Amino acid sequence: MADVLGNFEQAVLLAVVRLDDAAYGRAILKEVQMRLDREVAAGAVHATLTRLEQKGFLISRLGPGTEVRAGRPRRFYSLSTAGRRALNDARAVVDKLWRGFRWPLKGYL
Amino acid sequence: MSAPNPPRWAEALLRLLLAPRDRQTVSGDLLEEYRENIYPERGRGPADRWYISQVAGFVLRGNWLWAALLSGSFITRTALDWFVPPKDFYIRSMASTWLAIAFLLCAGFCAAWRSGLLRSGALAGIATTLLAAAISTIGTGCLFAIRHDAATLTAIQESGGLAEVFSLPIMLVIPGLALGALGGIVGVVARRSISSY
Repeated sequence: MADVLGNFEQAVLLAVVRLDDAAYGRAILKEVQMRLDREVAAGAVHATLTRLEQKGFLISRLGPGTEVRAGRPRRFYSLSTAGRRALNDARAVVDKLWRGFRWPLKGYL
Repeated sequence: MSAPNPPRWAEALLRLLLAPRDRQTVSGDLLEEYRENIYPERGRGPADRWYISQVAGFVLRGNWLWAALLSGSFITRTALDWFVPPKDFYIRSMASTWLAIAFLLCAGFCAAWRSGLLRSGALAGIATTLLAAAISTIGTGCLFAIRHDAATLTAIQESGGLAEVFSLPIMLVIPGLALGALGGIVGVVARRSISSY
């Protein structure tokens, strides 16, 4: 396991997976906000997308702009093989940590 | 009716903070959210405030490291002057001045390197100084709250007084702009040299 993903990185990668062909900056931001149930700064999502792309977990391509964006293009993201592997690893770590426990833990929820 | 637009200065600021590859796409994402969601739901004033807060987030993200280093060096220098006063302040003064110059040059260099724009360096210099001033004010305020016995008060007076400690970080804004711009020139030239190489 070369690189352990943080929670926010996982949220962004999973948003990209969920949105599939429609995974561009604003849509990812809204998806992450909805899943985490809190306001998220656009800068935080943008910085994470850039970092994940630099790590090779995401691939991006430009798409056409629309009138509401004043013609500015969209950057669409998709998961790379390394990104899929990283997400699977992250899930495996959590599963391993929880093995042997029943959820929710008694007396806490 | 034409489509609503966020404050032009905020859009211009945002573009200074972004790498060339993201300049159109990220500003387009924010404009789309502003026009389709925030403005219709909240109206002009709150929508503009939302946009400005998003841009402020980019400013913070781009400059926090240099601001933390600059304020850290300032607070350390203040703590040493107050709690371990020297006979001669010259060496400490030179060390903290050159550290501040180095951090502001680096802030300008990194911003201009990222964006490829000279003005980004100047903006980074101002932003770094202002953020550092805020952190330093809180930090030195905490130092004073923790320890303000007679010996410390004497040391404070001998090192320039409280007024200097709280006003100096703000007075660095203009030198910050100049140093950021200087770092920016180096950053832009370095970026162009490497991309042409």
